[in-house]
Amino acid sequence: MTENNTREEEVLAKLDTFDELPDAPPKRRIKLSWVGKIAVAVVVFWMIIIVIGPSIAPYHEMDMEGEDGFLDAYDNFYLGTDYLGRDTLSRIIFGARNTIGISILATLLAYCIGITLGIAAAVKGGWIDMCISRINDSILALPSIMLGLIAIAALGSSISILIGISAIIYATSVFRIARALGQDIMVQDYVEAAKARGEGLWWIIKSEVLPNAAMPLATDFGLRLVFVVLFISSLSFLGLGIQPPASDWGSMVRENLQGLTYGSYASIWPACAIATFTISINLIVDDISAKSGGSLAKKMV
Amino acid sequence: MKDKFRPQSGDITLSDLDPSDRSLVENAVKKGFSRREILKIMMATGVTAATANSLFTKSGEAMASTPKKGGSIRMASNLHGPDDQLDPRLFTSTIDYTRGRATYNSLIRHSNELVPQAELAETFEPNSDASEWTFKIRKGVSFHDGSPMTADDVVYSMSRHLGEDSTSVIKSVMSSVKEWKKVGQHEVKAILHSSNADLPTLLGLFQNKIIKNGSTGEGNGTGPFKMDSFEPGVKSVHTRNEDYWAEGANLDTIEITGITDPVARVNALISGDIQMATVIDPKAFRQVEEAEGVTLLSTPAALQMGICCLKNTAPGENADFVKGMQYIQDRERIVKKILKGKGSVGNDTPVMSAHGPDFCSELAQREFDPDKAKFHFKKAGISGAEIFSAPVVSGVQDAVLLAQANCAKIGFDLQVKKVPTDGYWGAVWMNEPVNVVTWNMRPTANSQMAIQFAPGAAWNDTYWNNDRMGELLRLSLSEIDPDKRHAMYCEMQTLIHNESGMVIPAFSNINDGISSNIMGMPSVPLGQLGACEWPELVWLA
Amino acid sequence: MMTQMVLRRIGIGFATLIVVSIIVFIGTSVLPGDVAQIILGQSATPATLAQLRSELGLDQPGYIRYFIWLGDMASGDLGTSKAGGASIVSLTSGRLGNTMMMAGIVSLISIPLSVALGLWAAMHPGTWLDRVITFGTLSTISVPEFFIATILVLVLAVELHWLPAIAYMSGDETGWQLMKALAMPLLTLVIVVSAQMIRMTRAGILNVMSSPYIEMAILKGVPRRRIILRHALLNAIGPIVNVIALNLAYLVSGVVIVETIFAYPGLAKLMIDGVQTRDLPLVQACAMIFCATYVVLILIADVASILSNPRLRHPK
Repeated sequence: MTENNTREEEVLAKLDTFDELPDAPPKRRIKLSWVGKIAVAVVVFWMIIIVIGPSIAPYHEMDMEGEDGFLDAYDNFYLGTDYLGRDTLSRIIFGARNTIGISILATLLAYCIGITLGIAAAVKGGWIDMCISRINDSILALPSIMLGLIAIAALGSSISILIGISAIIYATSVFRIARALGQDIMVQDYVEAAKARGEGLWWIIKSEVLPNAAMPLATDFGLRLVFVVLFISSLSFLGLGIQPPASDWGSMVRENLQGLTYGSYASIWPACAIATFTISINLIVDDISAKSGGSLAKKMV
Repeated sequence: MKDKFRPQSGDITLSDLDPSDRSLVENAVKKGFSRREILKIMMATGVTAATANSLFTKSGEAMASTPKKGGSIRMASNLHGPDDQLDPRLFTSTIDYTRGRATYNSLIRHSNELVPQAELAETFEPNSDASEWTFKIRKGVSFHDGSPMTADDVVYSMSRHLGEDSTSVIKSVMSSVKEWKKVGQHEVKAILHSSNADLPTLLGLFQNKIIKNGSTGEGNGTGPFKMDSFEPGVKSVHTRNEDYWAEGANLDTIEITGITDPVARVNALISGDIQMATVIDPKAFRQVEEAEGVTLLSTPAALQMGICCLKNTAPGENADFVKGMQYIQDRERIVKKILKGKGSVGNDTPVMSAHGPDFCSELAQREFDPDKAKFHFKKAGISGAEIFSAPVVSGVQDAVLLAQANCAKIGFDLQVKKVPTDGYWGAVWMNEPVNVVTWNMRPTANSQMAIQFAPGAAWNDTYWNNDRMGELLRLSLSEIDPDKRHAMYCEMQTLIHNESGMVIPAFSNINDGISSNIMGMPSVPLGQLGACEWPELVWLA
Repeated sequence: MMTQMVLRRIGIGFATLIVVSIIVFIGTSVLPGDVAQIILGQSATPATLAQLRSELGLDQPGYIRYFIWLGDMASGDLGTSKAGGASIVSLTSGRLGNTMMMAGIVSLISIPLSVALGLWAAMHPGTWLDRVITFGTLSTISVPEFFIATILVLVLAVELHWLPAIAYMSGDETGWQLMKALAMPLLTLVIVVSAQMIRMTRAGILNVMSSPYIEMAILKGVPRRRIILRHALLNAIGPIVNVIALNLAYLVSGVVIVETIFAYPGLAKLMIDGVQTRDLPLVQACAMIFCATYVVLILIADVASILSNPRLRHPK
């Protein structure tokens, strides 16, 4: 048994050397499977809705034109009405802007914060790294819903606050990835070489660190985006979602839940909207990471 | 004192009615309609008032037979947390009130018709100008720990609401009392600053419980149930007090817990995990009504869905803005679509039909009129405003959204700021220029108006100080002539309707769900589940 | 080396605790209203507010209250709840027990289940069962958990009456009754948590599978099952254990929605209640418990991944 193990380790060690052989990074284009293509189509569909949605929606999101709440589809109410007699379809269309828009902005912001601080911590090291890392750990250790609750109770629930707080919460994970990637890259030979050539710190970050960290970070972006969508939905569970009458999908699911017992689909439709969007993003991520390989999974935790 | 709640004998039986009328009445009894409402229903079926009256008691009897002992009930309130209290003077929520009702007694309690009735007080007598009240205390009553209840306990308990260092939530309500004085071992006297004929009514407040001298409550009361365990924010368990001084409770045990999620609360009720649920959301009315074995109790009450426009600041200081806000309220739609019919239209005063003869029914109803609203907003020169809203009462958030949609149609930009309920009373209410409010119903029209509209009152939440209003509030208390009295109440309601900063488009009923086998539910309209009077009264069929 | 690392990490853990307590303190002190206002609610008047504040010691400046709390905490005194007056130990101990019981049972079920399913899916990629697993887990992590919970309640409790709709514990249940009482939240959490872990297990293994040395082993004709169980799994343990640790931390501190829907008296809901009543000592106590749990779990995960990886175990 022990002998066996030793031999295996030898093999592994040999394989390691093989792994470290200089190897030009593959420059192949990402080809998506048919599932991936459908997923891209769904995401594109929602992007189009975001742009032209308000002009094609039958009603405004705040209009209470329905005869009653929780009605099945009739006349111009193609998906029925919600609990207040508002048009479910129109609210989903308007909600796309809020749900997806807020999530994308929050994720982008989380990336800006996380990457800047993460790379700074990796490059600078020392007490800067120590300080940022401790604050980062503390935010990670606290339940995100509670952080959201405190921030919204203290600052009010405007769209910018929602974006800000989601960005800060999810920047913590981005920070960890960026810092780990940064540290990895900083000890690579080509960085050492650049240092030896006398290149400045900014040049190293710009030309060596960022391009090499880009791919794993980009794939992670999709996952983070999904988490933000769900996080904002959870906030709506506690009544802290976006301000009415603006609609967002999570709040729509929440406020119409009771209709399920009467067979109203008013909460099913927005749940489907969330699911189509998040599943598509996940499928694209799966597809890309399956094709590009790499040590993504390790970095993602 | 409990005869009010118990059936009496009569001559005509319920079976004399034809079946459809009978089921109407039976349903009304089951749903906890007040006696007044049931009488109204019966008169509508064509019987005379006298017959209806005796039928009522018979129907109660037919429905109820005799109360049975035994069984247990688990009740879930809508709010609970680490701030759950056993100290009566800090009671602020239904779960506290219910525990208080099960554990302690008061000097006075309210009947379904809001008549003060003696509880731990055997009798209560005012002096000639009602500036002093004498209470004879019931003898032979003991606390759960065995010690007898005497005048000392009463004086101690009642005095906790008075004085500089009191933190009682009803301190300002009870401030008309100068001093509580022990007269004998079983007799106390309340000496007032000025005469107050309504003192007994105030003594029925949830916080006016009698606790042991020197304690802070701690679950040791004279009430029908002893407290077995109490975990704040989790649950409490109570078992019947076999040594209770009165006839006693019927249930063996009650468990009091909280389920904060409205959907979960209703689901738990329907699946039988709890037998009582407070505050049923209008969205769930149909679900509760259609489910087997549960009943929706809907008690009409003056539970106002109010919008305060502060009169001491913009935009509320402008009377036309307030008028605009009043005319933009689609009152009929709020009651029909948002409250699903379980409520009544408001006329921008806090008084409504449940307050009885003091309600000014001749005051013309203000209707939904977008043109008038547009006119007034324009006259005020205001094109937009911000309203702060929290779910303080069923449907208020949705009513605000409806107003917003209607404002948008006339080109007025009403911004809704949704804020959490926690911190609302401290940071938003009485601070932000336009905000939503509700008040539990008060037993009299006078106390209902005084709390919000007495000049300089602690909770004058629109900062509308009108001297005539203050004068009328005082004078009406001592007016005996019914016509003059009514004229005074009408003048007050007209003043509020026309000049205050208050918008009250609707009143919500008090809506709770109970298992259908729970009998004898009270319907006191001052709070959820018959103002929490149920623990001593109900039994299981 | 290992002990050094653990000691260093414990030191870092304490630093994190301090930072958390400061964040919580600042966070709760910027909230509108204080505990006195929450207790008195709509009935507050300036006089009663002032009186209650002085009784609760709220009239002192915030930073002094913080240092008093810190001092008490250092000497092992968690203090009393400002809102209800109960001791923090009595408020949190029962809740901590409930939370740990729920987290324990859920992880006992979901960890073996997800590692097994994840492995299975990785061993047979592209088969229809793999697709079912992939799509099932994907759908689960793509809708809000309150939606999943509500659907389960409507079907299993309201319609079929198989299980109770809330997790109500009267305290004298037999083991079986307790399991039945907890069944709904357990089921919800197992579904939510397993979906994440299955995905990460599968992804972790497949990821290792695409690395050159495994390709080489495949070329050498080593059976696939053997490759996965002996080589890939061993190398994927690091990431998998990390995912498990994060999910466990979530089960302790992040399940407020499940606790709310099933009225389960756990710590997460207690902390939210504490925030809503501005009960600082209570919020701090919960935050300390959550933070400590997180630090310990991450430490365990790191130790486990070092032990599982020969290269990390014997650094060059």
